[in-house]
Amino acid sequence: MLSIDKLCYQSKLRSRSAEEKFSFAVLTLCVCVCCRCAAVSCAVLLAMGLMTVCRGGVPLRRYLRLLLLPLSFLLLSALAITVQVQPAPLDLFAVRLGGWFFTGSRAALAYALTLSVTALAAVSCLYFLSLTTPVPEILDVLRRLRCPKLVTELMLLIYRFIFVLLETASAIGVSQRCRLGNRDGRTSMRSFGQLGAVLLVRSAKRADALYASMEARCYDGELRVLPESRPPRARALFAVFAFNLALVLFTIWRGGMG
Amino acid sequence: MKRKAFSGAQRRLLAYAAVFCAVLGAVPSVGAMHIMEGYLPAGYCVAWGVLCVPFLIAGYLHIRGTLAEHRSLLTLFAVSGAFIFVISSLKIPSATGSCSHMTGTGLGAILFGPAAVSLLGLIVLLFQALLLAHGGLTTLGANTFSMAIAGPFLAYGVYFLCGKLRVNKKLSVFLAAALGDLFTYCVTAAQLAMAHHADTTPGGAFAKFLLVFAPTQLPLAVIEGILTVLIVMGLESFAAPELRKTGFLEVR
Repeated sequence: MLSIDKLCYQSKLRSRSAEEKFSFAVLTLCVCVCCRCAAVSCAVLLAMGLMTVCRGGVPLRRYLRLLLLPLSFLLLSALAITVQVQPAPLDLFAVRLGGWFFTGSRAALAYALTLSVTALAAVSCLYFLSLTTPVPEILDVLRRLRCPKLVTELMLLIYRFIFVLLETASAIGVSQRCRLGNRDGRTSMRSFGQLGAVLLVRSAKRADALYASMEARCYDGELRVLPESRPPRARALFAVFAFNLALVLFTIWRGGMG
Repeated sequence: MKRKAFSGAQRRLLAYAAVFCAVLGAVPSVGAMHIMEGYLPAGYCVAWGVLCVPFLIAGYLHIRGTLAEHRSLLTLFAVSGAFIFVISSLKIPSATGSCSHMTGTGLGAILFGPAAVSLLGLIVLLFQALLLAHGGLTTLGANTFSMAIAGPFLAYGVYFLCGKLRVNKKLSVFLAAALGDLFTYCVTAAQLAMAHHADTTPGGAFAKFLLVFAPTQLPLAVIEGILTVLIVMGLESFAAPELRKTGFLEVR
């Protein structure tokens, strides 16, 4: 049901150390956001795309479709940044409406384009992480980064419950559709309300059952899981570091961090 | 002599209007307004993250304090977080035919209280970024502030105030959820405007961001309000005693 999660478990890079992948994605993400430079962003987009598709084995078409997911946000925000309503026209385009102009400047368009490329590159970093590293392994990295124990335990349980609840919700949805529960707008609204209510009740019961089973296994206030530790290789970490250093140096050479 | 149907300027206006509609029509899914990964400059990412810290610490202490008293509530908190995630990832019926999603944070604030929702909301937003690519890691701070802190706190405030003023329960739930949603949308527009005002004042940019996202967000707030009422009514009608036992619906 969550296609990213499914693709990530099939990834060829799954067996690599989580630290390597995490540091590659997060460090590059930070560099990309800090530099705000179209050339750096294109390089990052290309590198992440190649790593995810060629090394990770994610089908190209699905990858592209995933990249287009935030398209609506990108388009609408670019529209808001580029178009102005003011009494004097600007240099790129202008549409007269009464005494006012819908108008835009070249500078604003360039700004919006740089921003969009940067955002796409950042999304490709996020996808590299989420398409190669399963959530439990990311939690392992967080644990090693001294994230509070309560938070990581909650995250582990929430991650598990998401799938349980999604399954329950989809079963309820199917049975509602079988009984013409979405015949028109009114009924489908009512069905959704009932679905939400039933889902919460079932969730509360699940929570009780899980706690009972944890107690039966001697739960003492701490969840212990066995991490599959694959130590990171120095060569990979060095490559990550070198790649990002090159990006930063390139930006400084081009005229500073923007 | 045949008169032209449209003058040049009119034709251009028509073309721009068509482009605008096409952009709106291309919106594949209407959800809560998560700020996309990489859309905010680094300074803003850090600043919004820092602003969230006190609320998150309050949420952490609240949850830890509750767990110290009743250890068995750990799984209930986890299930609540998963519930918020799932309810926000389900397709909801909408008038326009494009698929839209609830935010679920107003409902969360009414059911679980705003303090718990701040920390649960952070976790849910992280999972939404990783599993659904809604929002992102660098914009996690900004999104947490608008969706897990500002919206829920306002929703809870409205709900509490309506309770004090003895407003009809259905109306107060509706107002809480819809106003919480609208407030989230305004805060997000403000966050975007502060970071990106290329050639206007921040105020002008704020108005533009509000306007551009209004066609998707205003109907969504109304639908969210109605659905939240339906869910709360459903809960009251067939599960009130069980839920009271487990600690939900304690507010009134």
